[in-house]
Amino acid sequence: MKTYIFHVNGMHCQACELMTESEIAGLPYITRVKSSLKNKSMEVVGDFGDKSDKVIAEELSKILAKHGYSLSLEKPEERVNWSDFKIAVPIALAFIALFIGLQKMGIVNLVSVDSVSYGTAFVIGIIASLSTCMAVVGGLVLSMSATFAKEGDRLKPQILFHAGRIISFFILGGIIGMIGSAFTLNTGATFILGLVIGLVMLTLGINLLNIFHSTKRFQLSMPKFISKHALGISKFNHTLTPLIVGVATFFLPCGFTQSMQIYTLGTGGFLEGGFTMLAFALGTFPVLALLSFSSFNINKSKKSGIFFKTAGLVVILFAIFNIINSFVIIGLIPPIFNF
Amino acid sequence: MKSTIISIIVAIAIISGAFLLAKDSSLGGTNLPANNVSIIDGKQIIEIRAKGGYQPRKSVARANLPTVLRFDGKGTFDCSLSVRIPSLNISQILSQGEKTDIDLGISKAGNLKGSCGMGMYPFEIEFQS
Repeated sequence: MKTYIFHVNGMHCQACELMTESEIAGLPYITRVKSSLKNKSMEVVGDFGDKSDKVIAEELSKILAKHGYSLSLEKPEERVNWSDFKIAVPIALAFIALFIGLQKMGIVNLVSVDSVSYGTAFVIGIIASLSTCMAVVGGLVLSMSATFAKEGDRLKPQILFHAGRIISFFILGGIIGMIGSAFTLNTGATFILGLVIGLVMLTLGINLLNIFHSTKRFQLSMPKFISKHALGISKFNHTLTPLIVGVATFFLPCGFTQSMQIYTLGTGGFLEGGFTMLAFALGTFPVLALLSFSSFNINKSKKSGIFFKTAGLVVILFAIFNIINSFVIIGLIPPIFNF
Repeated sequence: MKSTIISIIVAIAIISGAFLLAKDSSLGGTNLPANNVSIIDGKQIIEIRAKGGYQPRKSVARANLPTVLRFDGKGTFDCSLSVRIPSLNISQILSQGEKTDIDLGISKAGNLKGSCGMGMYPFEIEFQS
């Protein structure tokens, strides 16, 4: 019986501790295993016979490989690839310039309708997704999908997010149409929601830049004891979170979503209301899909560093935009942006 | 690289599609006469068009008069439909059909600032005594 300490490559989240521990703990010759996110290490107590440390690390790495972890004896080199910024900064600025350009051109003025058909609801959805709502919903989608992609889970969270969004828009739209009253948030709630979204995006954005390793500490994650008992290993992060965020986009502070809900009030029935909000959600889908699936397939590519840094910068800028706007609406600071 | 090109093409298609699909809708209605403040029966009425921001962005009106803000939110679906004036604790969602009146009471001298519900479309009314 001996105690070994290995460095874990790919350890980046609270759930990783559980994931690595549960994989290794299942082996018959292991007595005890303890992972640490803080030190990115794993302490293993077990009977490996007379195998060398190196062979044990390789054996255990094979078991963990399917989750994207590997063990090593040496501390993995952590270096910040600053040269990625040379490309990431211009791309991020170009993206933001396009975003501001669309607002300045008055893209929202393209909507001019007296009565809304499902077709116009769809067009309003497209325009909404290009409007300042992109800073809220799009920013959230980009930060979330890039974060999941960075953790190696590309497709499933995205599909769950979009499914959650589209289905909930139909159901909640139907409810609004049926009961004839909308969920409107008062100023205080809008402020808190906007601020929280801004701060979450800011944290995720900084994480994506991959320059301050200490910010991992602020990462949103369930307390370990809850996730361990209630939800099983890391399922929370990758299944339920995108689904809930998708549903929650119905309530996010986006003028278009709000206005569509107000319109839906008057439709007077579950199906009419449901289909109106569904058409709107489908209209927003192309742009949101573009943002979320941009991270698809990127993780293994050599350019992934550039992608994550670009996404991080865009997310940070959107986050600042949201945070400033939440202070504007409670009147703490005068309006800054002038679209 | 291929996916990048596809993404760019799709992005261009969506943006130009949005402009094309909505092309026939008139961009009119945004031009209000420069004088948007009127006084009828001792009541000051300030008319503001709410669509993709507020026009005019800045109005000049008289202080110490009973004042009503009259917002025209016809056919508006963007953020400007939700009006917020933090200093007066006003948070109002406009009608998409008729004009919506917001009663300000007796106007006080000074600048009144407001914005849309998300904060990015500002408007301002200067009350002169």
